[in-house]
Amino acid sequence: MAEVTNWQLNRAMYYPYEESRPTRQAAAVFDTNKCIGCQTCTIACKTCWTSGQGQEYMLWNNVETKPWGSYPLAWDVRELQLLGPQTWDGDTYTGNTIFEAAPAGERNIAWKPTELDYAYPNRGEDETNVSITTKRYNLKLPHDMWFFYLPRVCNHCTYPACLQGCPRQSIYKRPEDGIVLLDEERCRGYRVCFEACPYKKVFYNHTTKISEKCVFCFPAVEQGIQPRCMRNCIGKIRSFGFLSKPEEVREDNPIDFLVHVRKVGKPLYPQFGLEPNVYYIPPIHVASDDFLTMLFGPGCLDSIAAYKKAMNGEDPELLAALLLAVSTDRIITRFKLVGNRVHAWAENGDQVVDMPLKVPTVERVPFDPDLNVYRYNFT
Amino acid sequence: MAPTTQQTSRRDLLKVAAVGTGAAVLAASCSDDEEYTGRGVRVLRASEVPLDPFHDIWRDAPFTDVTLGPQDVALPQRVKPSVTKVRVRSVHDGKKIGFRLEWNDTEVGDKTIRVDDFRDACAVLLAPGDADESLRLMGSAETPATLLHWKADWERIVSKGDEGLDQAFPNRSVDTYPIIHEIPADEVGIDSYVAANATEWLPAIHVKNPVAGKAERASSVEKAIAYSFSTTTSAPTQDAEGRGKWIEGDGWRVVIVKPLGARDEGEIALKPGTVATCAFAVWSGGNRDVGSRKCPATKVEALELDA
Repeated sequence: MAEVTNWQLNRAMYYPYEESRPTRQAAAVFDTNKCIGCQTCTIACKTCWTSGQGQEYMLWNNVETKPWGSYPLAWDVRELQLLGPQTWDGDTYTGNTIFEAAPAGERNIAWKPTELDYAYPNRGEDETNVSITTKRYNLKLPHDMWFFYLPRVCNHCTYPACLQGCPRQSIYKRPEDGIVLLDEERCRGYRVCFEACPYKKVFYNHTTKISEKCVFCFPAVEQGIQPRCMRNCIGKIRSFGFLSKPEEVREDNPIDFLVHVRKVGKPLYPQFGLEPNVYYIPPIHVASDDFLTMLFGPGCLDSIAAYKKAMNGEDPELLAALLLAVSTDRIITRFKLVGNRVHAWAENGDQVVDMPLKVPTVERVPFDPDLNVYRYNFT
Repeated sequence: MAPTTQQTSRRDLLKVAAVGTGAAVLAASCSDDEEYTGRGVRVLRASEVPLDPFHDIWRDAPFTDVTLGPQDVALPQRVKPSVTKVRVRSVHDGKKIGFRLEWNDTEVGDKTIRVDDFRDACAVLLAPGDADESLRLMGSAETPATLLHWKADWERIVSKGDEGLDQAFPNRSVDTYPIIHEIPADEVGIDSYVAANATEWLPAIHVKNPVAGKAERASSVEKAIAYSFSTTTSAPTQDAEGRGKWIEGDGWRVVIVKPLGARDEGEIALKPGTVATCAFAVWSGGNRDVGSRKCPATKVEALELDA
């Protein structure tokens, strides 16, 4: 075991391999407040990557409804139960990671799903946290009665559990962009990665009998194009780009800005210890700080406060960074707010976004005196 | 462990017998359920190497009981072995060498379709040297090991065909599969993709993963070369054969056969009248044994080939 730095835990932790961060890390920030659970991302991925025989129950991208939804069945609560108490002292995690809690003879704790656990991808969809039949709830913020959508893909973790679990080293993390890939030629279908990943984002192909996982659409990323699930997001909740190393943060990099500067993007279950690289802006309407802290770590409440500030017009730069989500198919590496306009550039210097922070609106009076008619706006 | 006085004296007697009367007499003295009292595993010279685990020739070969233990070297480990003993018999006919392994297992694991299906399996490790203990766990960087890995799910495919998706998932419902949409979903198989030149939809098959699923197989044994843990690589020439039978209440009887000669880089060439290193391992699918979660022999054995 090597001692490595996990900035999400604010401490060193143990991992089987030495720390080796990629030059830059392909990463995403998902705004849960904007997700409408339309599953367009799921279908965009499914039709592209996993529509072959043997992949029927395989969803590299899924959207589950929290608190009750999960795919595979109860994946997170079962992992958390195995992990035991998860304690934080301020921003420092004082509990065990899945590697530190490993039983004898194993590299990490691991819940081992069965086939039935994959049979209910929509379990809990649109179910509220409490039953609406037992009590009358008034609409207020945050809501007493709530749910929110949690879109999930592989987190392309800095310390992937799948990678360290594989006894054949069939899984590797690319040094140029941090994308975690599974070598389809080398894998022997042992399914240790499948068990090891606490997010359960490695899957088993029933026909080829070899494991498979999200590739972050690397052929597109190599050409400066965002992954399909990001590009096709109807709610424009997904910001995709490259996260810099913690000591090399650039304020004009939108992903760095959201994660490291304004700190609105929070990792999912950081206590697992994988340093996942898909970040979430926590939902602002959930009246359970404990639940949110369990999912997104102790900084989630500050994240919500910062997000609200941006939405109230008090942080135009943050609003600008958020507005870049799905504003272009190209991968944005730099942005700037100038007056009321957000500018963004791709890696090769092409300007790919030029849009107003606040869209100009025209109010049309109902009565047109020239034609002597009334017009009604219905939108 | 040092041999006991009794063991030593039995071996000494056997040596005297072998020297005094010749190998033919020794071979003739081996009969059903006779334990080999020499060193390691004796490879009896026979008229043929039968694939049938119940062929009479196997009864003539003396057996060696090999103790299996935990795999506690590489992670993940199998700390408590699922199977603790395998009985080994071996014969050669001057061209091929065969092993018959038998071990107890209370349930058959011959499917790998579902995520929680794990197969029963066994393997023979062959390496040069006279019971070279340093090669017990998959050879070494300098001295590769030849692995003969029999897999119960491959055996099933060879003998009666694989379990289909429709059997594994009786409630599944698929309208159509892209690219090969003209074929009714229930009739789609690996061959459908191959025929349509659309194996991109079966990634591991597209990149020619040697152990990826197949609708048909010629053999239930994979020949592989390894240079220690994590390095097992399927050999280019797949010339090992196998046959396995599971008996209710009694477990597996598996025969593994390969040519004595070597055809691939790193493969061991065995010669009659010589000694080599061998080891064995068993996987119990019902206990989720797979990969390094296995029950290897606690020590290597000398593989003594009759002249």
